[in-house]
Amino acid sequence: MYYRRTLTDAQINKELLDVVFRTPTWWVILVSALGLMVAIGAGAFGFMMNKGLGVTGLHQPVFWGFFITNFIFWVGISHAGVMISAILRLSQAEWRRPMVRAAETMTVFALMTSLLQPLIHAGRPWRIFYWVFPYDWARGIWPDVRSPLVWDPTAIITYLTSSILFVYTALIPDLAIIRDRSTGWKRTVYGILALGWHGNPRQWKLQGIAGILLSALILPVFVSVHSIVSWDFGVSLVPSWHVTVFAPYFVIGAVHSGVSAVVTLMIVMRKLYKLENYIWEEHIDAVARLLIVVATAWLFFFWLDIVFAFWLKEEQELTVWNLRLFEAPWSWFFLVFITASYIIPVPLWLFRRVRRSFTWMLWTSLLVNVGMFLERLIIIVPALMRKGPWTFNYDTYAPSIVEITLVVASIALVCFLLLVFSKFFPLIPIWEIKEGQRLIEEVKVGNRVVPALVKED
Amino acid sequence: MHNEVPEIGPYPTHREVAQDVLGKFQVISSRYWITMAVLGFLVLLGIVGFVIRLNDGFDNASRANWGYLVATLAFIVTTFTAMPVISAGLRLTKANWRRSFTRMNENMALTGIVVMALLIPAIIALPPLEGRMSIWFEWPQGAPMLWDIMGYGTLVLIGLVMLWTCAVPDLAAASEYLPASPRQRFIKWLSLGWIGGTRQWKIMYQATLLMGVMYLLTYPLVQTLMISDFNHGLLPGYKDAIIPATVVVNGLQGAVAMTLVVMYCMRRFAGYERYFGIDQFWALSKPLLAFSLLWFYFFWASFITFWYGRQPGESEILRFLVLEEYRVHFLISLFLNFIAPLIALVWSPVRKSIWGPTIVSVGILIGAFVNQVRLFVSAFSVVDPGQHVLDPRPATQWPAAPDVMIIAGSLAACIMVFMAISKIIPVVSIWEVAEGLRLVKVRRYLNRHVRVISKSH
Amino acid sequence: MVSTKTKKRPDHKWGMVIDLDRCTACQACVIACQSENNIPINQESTFLEGRAIEWIRIERYWEGTYPNVKARFLPMLCQHCDNAPCESVCPVYATYHNNEGLNVQVYNRCVGTRFCGNNCPYHARLFNYWEPVWPEELKNQLNPDVTVRSRGIMEKCTMCIQRIRRATRGGKEVADQSFNPACVQACPTDAMVFGDLNNSQTQVSKKWEDERGYRVLEVLGTNPSVKYLKQVEVDA
Repeated sequence: MYYRRTLTDAQINKELLDVVFRTPTWWVILVSALGLMVAIGAGAFGFMMNKGLGVTGLHQPVFWGFFITNFIFWVGISHAGVMISAILRLSQAEWRRPMVRAAETMTVFALMTSLLQPLIHAGRPWRIFYWVFPYDWARGIWPDVRSPLVWDPTAIITYLTSSILFVYTALIPDLAIIRDRSTGWKRTVYGILALGWHGNPRQWKLQGIAGILLSALILPVFVSVHSIVSWDFGVSLVPSWHVTVFAPYFVIGAVHSGVSAVVTLMIVMRKLYKLENYIWEEHIDAVARLLIVVATAWLFFFWLDIVFAFWLKEEQELTVWNLRLFEAPWSWFFLVFITASYIIPVPLWLFRRVRRSFTWMLWTSLLVNVGMFLERLIIIVPALMRKGPWTFNYDTYAPSIVEITLVVASIALVCFLLLVFSKFFPLIPIWEIKEGQRLIEEVKVGNRVVPALVKED
Repeated sequence: MHNEVPEIGPYPTHREVAQDVLGKFQVISSRYWITMAVLGFLVLLGIVGFVIRLNDGFDNASRANWGYLVATLAFIVTTFTAMPVISAGLRLTKANWRRSFTRMNENMALTGIVVMALLIPAIIALPPLEGRMSIWFEWPQGAPMLWDIMGYGTLVLIGLVMLWTCAVPDLAAASEYLPASPRQRFIKWLSLGWIGGTRQWKIMYQATLLMGVMYLLTYPLVQTLMISDFNHGLLPGYKDAIIPATVVVNGLQGAVAMTLVVMYCMRRFAGYERYFGIDQFWALSKPLLAFSLLWFYFFWASFITFWYGRQPGESEILRFLVLEEYRVHFLISLFLNFIAPLIALVWSPVRKSIWGPTIVSVGILIGAFVNQVRLFVSAFSVVDPGQHVLDPRPATQWPAAPDVMIIAGSLAACIMVFMAISKIIPVVSIWEVAEGLRLVKVRRYLNRHVRVISKSH
Repeated sequence: MVSTKTKKRPDHKWGMVIDLDRCTACQACVIACQSENNIPINQESTFLEGRAIEWIRIERYWEGTYPNVKARFLPMLCQHCDNAPCESVCPVYATYHNNEGLNVQVYNRCVGTRFCGNNCPYHARLFNYWEPVWPEELKNQLNPDVTVRSRGIMEKCTMCIQRIRRATRGGKEVADQSFNPACVQACPTDAMVFGDLNNSQTQVSKKWEDERGYRVLEVLGTNPSVKYLKQVEVDA
């Protein structure tokens, strides 16, 4: 039961700060390998800029492919942070405690990675910052606010800023713990970062208020970010993109994908950092139950998308869906996607044994993200392949080695950044665990003792 | 903070709660009979209005006459009949503050009778499926009459079964409390020989859970049928995949608002202040705010897609439903369902009061009704749904005397039905409240009192 | 808000009418356009990659089975839509509608996000996937009036705006048929007519009212400035 009161403060401090004070060998090996992959990715990007986007698999009329899929994918993953942190904090769910920081940090790094994608996919990225930055550097022309591609960076940077603030404010008490246990330059740096935290009642009160305010304010941002990204597609005239349901469909898909990614992250963390005392079956059980609800809501929106796609029986829309559902290889991708995103994981999650098994949860959560990546690909590419009745340029699309390298490098980048983060900051919030320990109570009902929690009003 | 929050405590026993609730339940005052008489008169008026409309029949020209009946049907489905969704959902999240009003919400499931009564003429008024788009595509056998009746009927049936199942322990208690009378004998029959043994409780919990989940799953389906058959399928050139989700969310907002208003009425007119206190109002004000924000979000997702795309067909629909003919309805709805709740409920003192959420809810319910008029009266006034584009647009249709009579009669019927069932099934769930009293304790913590809540499984 | 009326263009409103009955799909227009506008050379490999840049392309569709086969030709170019879906989606204002009814592309502002290409229902917009390379000998045939685009930029038919600018420079009166875009000039059957739709006496204005006239994908509401005249069916 997660109401077990078995951890002393000293034990919590020691175990959660282990990686910060001592560098394990596996960490060095992993960081080097991932860093190498990121470097290869950077090299691939340089090669692509030098030669031109011809090194990708893109061609007329498929202007967007793997990179934009990756962009949507990472924005999706970034939604986990808010779901776990803000919503569960506001609803005072106890089981959020070990996950919040890892989820929020993954959000920050996923957002940074996602912002890279539209930069690398553009024809002239060396100009893009100059033109899209909101200032009329040249000739008095501001960015065109009618364009969804201007709404995107606005939304994502807002979300990134608020997420960084969120991570940082929640980090402050832990930074003070590290400061108090360090010497030399380490103590100075952590001291500056800890902003003079001493843990007195006034500071704790401010911490609590900050947490609640940030959680409440970040919720509208969270809903709007992926909606705005979805309107990249929704406001266009491409058949099967010009659908009204995209905004909530994408948001819920993002929550599905993101929360599954958090499950993966938690289980891997538990293994690597030996966090068996902090991440229990109860935690993944609770997340899995949340995922069932989210995934089923996602299925409702997906069903709406399909049914209404056929509503007006417009020829071009039917052509696109025919390609997605019945023509190889897209029909195979579709089958794999729907199986991996819903048909396999959700019925499995209905069983308590599966929900409480770390192995099962690891593989099902990974499967969900494979499916969701494919989902984004299926939304983007077939629609462009059959955009108009111009059968003269009906063609196929396959990603080139450069695109695949860059996508793999993006995954490596997020993992790399998370590992580096864990070296300097504890991935599980020490103060939250300690707080949780203090809120544990028991209630005698009849002749049974039922675990209970102190509820804050 | 805690000192301001009035409690049920110090811990009344199960017996005390039962006697309090059943005492009120037993008395059928003259005020009750007078109210029923007035409502009965309104119902008769409604029937008269219905007969007047019946005179004109159901052909193409007179379809517009039935618009207000369908709007009323939609309003009832999204407020009265949606209340058990709140009950089922909160039970799944094991929120403690739900315990006092779950029965009240479930009692509203009986308004399904009114829904079914209004459904028949609504379906008959629909134009035939040939030549127009509909959710029934190529297999119109029995559609929409058979499938709609099955869909709505399932929802109503599940609601009634859920009501009955959850009420059995209280019916048994009531049958022992009341003096012998036909009413007491009927209640005893309804209590199905409940003794309260372990096995019976186990079965009841499982049945409650199952019925709740089924109601939650059926509700969006019914909403999809409602909006597809009675609005979407009647507007030419309209393809809006999000509209079922929009009406689900609007329905949830209406359900929460109706819960708040009914709770206020129970406090004010029936003396149940002890059960419907600040906890309930405060806790419900938060989802009310959330759903109000979502009201705008779902509207905007649809609006931006149509407005930006500038497609001729979609632009006509936008002019019809939002910008021209039904602009007044839209603006009223926008203000009452989004702007006013947002401005009011952002303030903590407003949320944490009895009057705040109630006043906002009354506004929301009026706005919800006007919104239904905007959606359904407009759709029913279209003469030829088989056109390619909605051109020319029909003029705004304002209510006539028979319409007002039908509206008054239907709403009165719902209230009558609720009042009637509340004298058969106690309106506060005694066993749930008593269960809560066992699980929630107030303890000293450091130098203050906190609430300790245990979660039973 | 949602306007279906054509905006009043005070000076000129350029338009084109293409008579499909006269088009023989000889591709002279394609070659002329390529020479005039410094379009990169498309080799067979470019076509197979799907990256051929043709500001005007001849779409060829076969109808029927042997021996009753018919070929349908559709010269497709940028339609210069009055209600252009490509214009509002560019984040850097690299494409906008000018006062003369043309959809213009500003090369030095384009960063290559390619959203405009996605939103064009006519597939009229093309992207430079590679850096264009001309053999040394051919560099002398590049038109000095037209920018040479680098990789990473979108381009499309401009209705030979350099010729329009040359003809209308100084605000002088432009006589009908005094100049034409390269494709119109090269067409051997005079299938293409270009001119000022504001002037009701021009050839293009007269052909605009032809009963055979239709606009491609008109149902999308893009309001193109290019009209096509249906092929006359001999056996109909």
